[in-house]
Amino acid sequence: MTDIRDGNGLAAAEKLYTQYGSRARELKASGKKVIGYLSALGPVEIMTAAGVLPIRLKGNVSEAISKGDAYMETIVCPFVRNVFDLAVKGKYDFLDGMVLPHQCDSIDRTNETWSYTLGLPYWHFLNVPHVTDDPSIAFMKEILRIFIKTLEKFTGKAITDQAIADAVKAHNNNRKLMRELYDLRKSNPPLISGSEMMKVLVAAMSIPVEESSALIEAVMKEVKERKPAAANPKAKRIMLIGDQIDDVAVIEAIESTGAYLVMDDLSTGSKMYWQDVDATADPVQGIAERYLRKLKIPTTFVGSADTYQGILEERFGHMKKYVNEFKVDGAILFIYKYCDPYGFEVPAIKSYVEAAGAPVLYLEDEYSTSSLARVKTRIEAFLEMIA
Amino acid sequence: MDYFAGVDIGSTMTKVVIMSDRIEVSLIGPTGPEHRKLANRVMEEALNKARLTFEDLTYIVATGYGRINVPFADRQITEITCHAKGLHSLLPSVKTVVDIGGQDSKGIKIVNGKVMNFVMNDKCAAGTGRFLEIIADSLGVPLEKIGEISLTAQKIAAVSSTCTVFAEQEIISRLASGEPIANLLAGIHDAVATRVYSLVKKLNVEADIAVTGGGAKNIGLVKALESKFGQALLVPPEPLITGALGAALMGKDIFAKYMAEGQKPTRSVNKLEEATFFE
Amino acid sequence: MAEEKKGRAVATSTAAKIPKFVRGNLSATLKAKEEGKKVAAAFIADGQDEIMRAMDIVPAWGESFSGVCAAKRDAEKYLQKAESDNFSRSLCTYATCNIGFDMMREELGGATPEGAPWGGMGRPDMMLGNGQLLCDPRFKWPQATQHYQQDVPVFVTNMYYPPWDPNADHHEQEAIYVKYAADELRETVKFCEKITGKKMDWDRLAATVELSDKTWDLFIDTYELRKHIPTPMDTGDAMNTMVPLTFNLGTQEAYDFYVDLNAELRQKIADGVGVANPEKYRIIWAAGLPSWFALGDFQYFNGKGVVFPVEVTYRGCEKIERLDLPKTNDPLEHIAWRWVRYWTHWYDAAKKRPGSTPKVERIIEYIEDYKCDGAVFHSAFSCRSWHAGIMQQAATLKKVYKDIPILIMEGDIVDISSYNEADTHNRIDAFIETLAASKKRQG
Repeated sequence: MTDIRDGNGLAAAEKLYTQYGSRARELKASGKKVIGYLSALGPVEIMTAAGVLPIRLKGNVSEAISKGDAYMETIVCPFVRNVFDLAVKGKYDFLDGMVLPHQCDSIDRTNETWSYTLGLPYWHFLNVPHVTDDPSIAFMKEILRIFIKTLEKFTGKAITDQAIADAVKAHNNNRKLMRELYDLRKSNPPLISGSEMMKVLVAAMSIPVEESSALIEAVMKEVKERKPAAANPKAKRIMLIGDQIDDVAVIEAIESTGAYLVMDDLSTGSKMYWQDVDATADPVQGIAERYLRKLKIPTTFVGSADTYQGILEERFGHMKKYVNEFKVDGAILFIYKYCDPYGFEVPAIKSYVEAAGAPVLYLEDEYSTSSLARVKTRIEAFLEMIA
Repeated sequence: MDYFAGVDIGSTMTKVVIMSDRIEVSLIGPTGPEHRKLANRVMEEALNKARLTFEDLTYIVATGYGRINVPFADRQITEITCHAKGLHSLLPSVKTVVDIGGQDSKGIKIVNGKVMNFVMNDKCAAGTGRFLEIIADSLGVPLEKIGEISLTAQKIAAVSSTCTVFAEQEIISRLASGEPIANLLAGIHDAVATRVYSLVKKLNVEADIAVTGGGAKNIGLVKALESKFGQALLVPPEPLITGALGAALMGKDIFAKYMAEGQKPTRSVNKLEEATFFE
Repeated sequence: MAEEKKGRAVATSTAAKIPKFVRGNLSATLKAKEEGKKVAAAFIADGQDEIMRAMDIVPAWGESFSGVCAAKRDAEKYLQKAESDNFSRSLCTYATCNIGFDMMREELGGATPEGAPWGGMGRPDMMLGNGQLLCDPRFKWPQATQHYQQDVPVFVTNMYYPPWDPNADHHEQEAIYVKYAADELRETVKFCEKITGKKMDWDRLAATVELSDKTWDLFIDTYELRKHIPTPMDTGDAMNTMVPLTFNLGTQEAYDFYVDLNAELRQKIADGVGVANPEKYRIIWAAGLPSWFALGDFQYFNGKGVVFPVEVTYRGCEKIERLDLPKTNDPLEHIAWRWVRYWTHWYDAAKKRPGSTPKVERIIEYIEDYKCDGAVFHSAFSCRSWHAGIMQQAATLKKVYKDIPILIMEGDIVDISSYNEADTHNRIDAFIETLAASKKRQG
């Protein structure tokens, strides 16, 4: 792999970003098993504890779907379709298996399309519930234990509680480091640009957790040594909200206008890194609670507060905090077409974030750069509007 | 005298406005496949008409979807901002703009001459000029006539499909079964107006409302929109040039701001290239 | 169209009672307040039917109302209303149609919007969702509606069943799923008790569940009469006769409806009356919700001698004895077992046929039992839950069973702009030609 030395963290991230999966391919060649997963719901702690490399799968926004449509309907989430298309075309031929967490219909309903078409040696559908009450936590623990058993059977090695506890520690540390890197975006101008950050986020989800932590530390050291640039007082500070945005195309569209992307609420970004797993006597308990109760994703139904305003705070309160802490001037809500979980909350998010002080531009688009020009016009017009 | 130019490269039409303290010249020509050459050509023609040289221009702003393909422009600004600016200068009472272009349609909410909110549809042809063009073509009626013909309809023939491909098939089969062309055209205009209305409605529409773009030149479409909005709509004298006019006005503002700060604006290094009309 | 004007000549006369059920369900939501009853916005096949019936909670079926709007071709105004507040046209149109209607009603201070199909639907006192393995809108839709009806509380139950995995032993997992579903149903009861201020009458619930089981059995017995050649009832009819099972489960009226339907089908068989005369091809409606605005397409099929003696859609029940349910005195646990086994009882068969899946196994079973010559699927663009994965089912069916003619139709449940009649009929005609060729090949 690329040596992570002082001063080359960003270069390493860039390489892992442009050659996505290259580290997994190397490790596979050296005998490690590689398990792909979709969405922020992939329990990486358990995979790390099992001694396999978890890699979050991404698509390629610049690549047209050419083979996947023969197996999967076009009414499926464009992101899921794109990743599936890459998998069918062999871009992920280093995978020993996959875990599909039950996030949404587009994943749940295509489980068999994936598993039967790809025919990987290991396959698991992790049946994550949509609600968070006590019976759901108990159930989540059960299905995590089933998952652990299948991994043990696949690797032929027991996954001890100690190994899980150690993995929890390693991933918590990784999240803490990433949050520290996010802190460097609070200054004006931010020490790290939005597209640099995206490359780090993408790189980080494709390599072993210790390497990911080393990468983040190297990037942090590098950008801290930068000479602070003069702030452009006119440049707007933008937050990007959405699910899996894993390419710099949209971010470059924002930053090429002179705006700063300073924060995100993306499933590849802060959604992944803001919540730790509590160290619990039964380590599975902490993992169940983190993925079910702490993660802020639209497929987890939250509604225990007595008032609607209270419920909105439960669901979106973190975004209000981001607006204040990162001094956000405007937010872009970027949703993929055919996405029921996000699509149904657009009016609620929009009005909530706007009440928090940041005007919102809502964009619905494909997972593809084919429509980038028109997206760019909207972004530019939005920035001209809030100028 | 300072002269400011606005160049609006739309999907089907390219528009140029040159102004001083008044509009010196405005010009409209079709957009071809090669934006760069075309921008040069239309600009040259406009300069000739105004008896000016390129060097006389103080600041040039490009807008429209081809705005990045105007090498000699000093600045690019989106058509949303420029439309609002241009329209506000012509019709200051307007709070909502409905722009129906060749490949897209949009709604802009204006407060105090500034963009307050906007919506755009460019994902499907329905609700744009392209849709009308396709239907006019399959009915064999010249595009510029369809609006007037639609007003002679006995009744509006409801068109159930808003998808262009489906609608075209539906129209042809209805025509074959004896539905008068006027009724079908009324139905088509109604369908486009419905799409545009549902798009613009997202803006919390306030009067006065103006229509711009190629769609504003179609009386049938304007009438259909009026019935959806439930009020009369304003149409500027030349509804195609509001974007280019706004771009020129933006250039004027930018220049004035620089001057007020005692600075000179940075200009594009590119000049007008020689363009030939014969190729 | 000529076919449409012929009317439902081939329909059962029992099905003529269906509009009464649908109108009755709608008007019950409007009358509930006077009668001192609470209204719950609810979803079909959510396992909550008996709880609502036993507590006199009036269900407001959003899917039914949107289906009515679609069938009346009067949904566009509601779809546009929802779209005006940024609900994408690609979202579930059952939901967006309903949300648009709800938005209008809120703007009128709770009064029913003028011109609402069949009188519209009443404002709920609560919304019951379910985060099932059935569809995301079942919990996103109530949540989205709450944005406009902020005082109406939402409760989401979560009932899952073991995912299909040919390498896993689902029997080992069933108990986990049943316990979870039963726990969730208990939470549902607590919520309903809080909103209604009444305690659950557990004996009444047990009796309601017993009535449901009886209705399930009678429904299957009745539908199995369609195995007869010529079949006495078509899927076009079943899209209506599913109403009592789907929307009125746990009521005597639902049970009685199938008593009547059963008698009518027996009479038709005795009289030798079939849907099509002559009956040329028998087709399974293998998956997908119908285009409610284009139910006339079934008559188009029938007019060409093509009949549908069986469908997967809305066959939301099974013979209870086939499910082999463990004995329990807890009605909620019984519902939970019934729910889980309804899905898993096809798993063992699927395991026996390499490369198969439970969904395909179910289709194969029906093809064999009902002697079908081909399969039609329908893909509705706005609904992922029932329609993503259809291509996989069709491909698997051909691979593990046999190369039977298959048609995948395209449309939507509510949004008519996706539909083209001429195109659809052309595709149907082409499909019938492949059926003819296939039959010839088989001699």
